[in-house]
Amino acid sequence: MKSVPPALVWLWFALVLALVALICVLVVRMLRTHQRRAVLLALGNGLAVLILGFVVSLLIELPAIDRFLNEFLNWNIFSKTWEYVIKGLVVTIELAVVSEVFILVLGLIIALIRISRIKAFRFFAAVYIDVIRGMPLILQIVVIYFGLGYLGLNLSRFMAGVLALTVCYAAYEAEIFRAGIESIHKGQMEAARSLGMGYFKAMRYVVLPQAVRNVIPPLSNEFIALLKDTALVAIIGLAEVFFRGKEMMGRYANVTPLVWAAICYLIITIPLMRLVQYMTTRLSLKD
Amino acid sequence: MNNDCMVEIVDLRKRFGHHEVLKGINLKVKPSEVLVIVGPSGSGKSTMLRCVNGLEHASGGHIYVEGIDVTDHKADINTIRQKVGIVFQSFNLFPHLTTLRNVTLAPLKVRKSNSGEAEEKAMRLLDRVGLKDKAHAYPAHLSGGQQQRVAIARALAMDPDLMLFDEVTSALDPELVSEVLDVMKDLAREGMTMMVVTHEMGFAKEVGDRLIFMDDGVIVEEGPPEDIFTNPRSPRAVDFFSKILSHL
Ligand SMILES: Nc1ncnc2c1ncn2[C@@H]1O[C@H](COP(=O)(O)OP(=O)(O)OP(=O)(O)O)[C@@H](O)[C@H]1O
Ligand SMILES: [Mg+2]
Repeated sequence: MKSVPPALVWLWFALVLALVALICVLVVRMLRTHQRRAVLLALGNGLAVLILGFVVSLLIELPAIDRFLNEFLNWNIFSKTWEYVIKGLVVTIELAVVSEVFILVLGLIIALIRISRIKAFRFFAAVYIDVIRGMPLILQIVVIYFGLGYLGLNLSRFMAGVLALTVCYAAYEAEIFRAGIESIHKGQMEAARSLGMGYFKAMRYVVLPQAVRNVIPPLSNEFIALLKDTALVAIIGLAEVFFRGKEMMGRYANVTPLVWAAICYLIITIPLMRLVQYMTTRLSLKD
Repeated sequence: MNNDCMVEIVDLRKRFGHHEVLKGINLKVKPSEVLVIVGPSGSGKSTMLRCVNGLEHASGGHIYVEGIDVTDHKADINTIRQKVGIVFQSFNLFPHLTTLRNVTLAPLKVRKSNSGEAEEKAMRLLDRVGLKDKAHAYPAHLSGGQQQRVAIARALAMDPDLMLFDEVTSALDPELVSEVLDVMKDLAREGMTMMVVTHEMGFAKEVGDRLIFMDDGVIVEEGPPEDIFTNPRSPRAVDFFSKILSHL
C-alpha cells in the first residue's frame, strides 16, 4: 500500500481538530455561564492530552501514525465513498421513524394489558416482555426475516426490520409506559371514575396526559438507542448506513468508510441527545 | 328495599384479605338528609363511603342508591356514579387541567354536553364556591382550601343527588377549613343529601341531621349529633368524644 503524502496527513489532522473545535464551541455556546467553566476546563484537559499524545507518538514512530491515518482517515477513499454511505442515513432514519410509530402504539397497548385487572392478560403481557427482553435483538431480526420467509410471508428487508424492531422495542417501551402510568397517583383514576367516566375515558383524559410528561425523556432515549440499533438490520442485508460503510470497507480494504459511517450516526444522535437533555430540564423546571 | 331512601345499606360487609373492615352495616339516608359519620381511625368510615359509589366492591350485603343496587355486577356503575359526587381528603384535582377544565371534563366527556353550556355552568359553580376569578388557574397555583372548593364544584357539575365527603378538611391548614365548610353548609341548606365523614364537631352539630359513630366496622351509636355528643352511651364513644371535644 502506498503511503499518503505527509501534507495530507497534516491536512487531515487540522480538519479533525477544526471539527472537534467547532463542536466544542457549539456545545459551550449552548450552556449557561456557570456550566461553561466546568466544561471548558474538561475540554482543555482533553485537548491537552490529545495533542500531547499526538506529539509523543509522532516522536516515537512516525510510520505507525502514517499507517493509521492511511487506514482510518484516508481522504482519497473518503471522497469516493462518502456520498454512497451517507445516503444510507435516509434508510436508517426511515427505519427508525416508521418503527417508532408502531412501537409507541404497540408499547402502550402492551402496557395497558400489563396493568389490566384480568390476571391472564397481565400474565401474557409479562411473559411477552420478559421473553423479548431476554433475547438479543439481532437474533430476533434474523428469526423474523427468515422465519416469516419460510412461512411464505415474504416481507421486504425494510419491513422485516420494522417488524423486528417493533416487536423488540415495544417490550421495552411498554415497561416505560407502565412505570409512567403507575407513577400517577391512584387518586387521579378514582376521581375520574367517581365522576362517571369509564376506565378507558379516565385513562385517556386524566391518567395518560399526565403520564406522557413523565415518559417523554425515557422514550426519547429509547428512540436514540433504536436509531443506533437499526444498524443490526444490516445482518439481513438492508442497505442502511452501517451496511454501506461495511460494504465500502470491503471493497477498498480500508476502514475510512466505516469511520465515516460512525460520524453519520453522530450527526443525528448528538443533537438528539442534547435535545432530550434540554427537554428533560425544561419539564422538570415546570414542576 | 325502601323507595323513599336516597341510600339504603343492608348488612354491608367488606374484607381486605382476611381482615374484615366492615362487619355488617345497616343504614338509611333520606333525601335532603345530612348524615355525619364519625369514629376512630381505621373504623371503616372511608371504606363505607367508597363502597357507596363503588370504588370498593362490597364483600357482602347490598347498597341501594335511589333504588339501584350498587353491589349488583350488572348495575351500570358509571351511571350510578354520575348521581353520586365524592370529595376526597386529598382533593385529587387533575393537575394538568385548569380549574375550569377540571369542572367541565366529566360533563363534556361523559354527558357529552356542548362546550358552551358546560363552561357556562362551570363558571356558575365556580362562582358559587367563590372561585370564578381562578377559572383559568392550574390546581398547583391554588391554596388547599381553594383546591377543595374546586373539587366540590367539579363533583356538582354532574348534578349529583347525593354527595359524599371524606374528611375533606383534614388536609387543610386551620385557617382554610371554614371556607370549605361554608360551601358545604350552603349545599346542605339547599337540600343536598350528604354523607359526611368529619372530625369537625361544630359542623356536625350545626348542619348534621343525624350522626353515626362507627367503631371497628360496625355502627355503635346513631342519633341527633347533639344527643350523642352530650350523652354517648358506649365506652368507645365516651372515650372518643372526650378526646375530640376537648380539642375544641
Ligand atoms: N385497600 C386496602 N387494602 C387493605 N386494607 C385496607 C385498604 N383500605 C383500607 N384498609 C384497612 O381497612 C381499615 C379501615 O380503613 P378506613 O380507611 O375505612 O378507615 P377510616 O375509618 O376511614 O380511618 P381514617 O379516619 O384513618 O381515615 C383500616 O384498618 C385499613 O388499614
Ligand atoms: Mg378515612
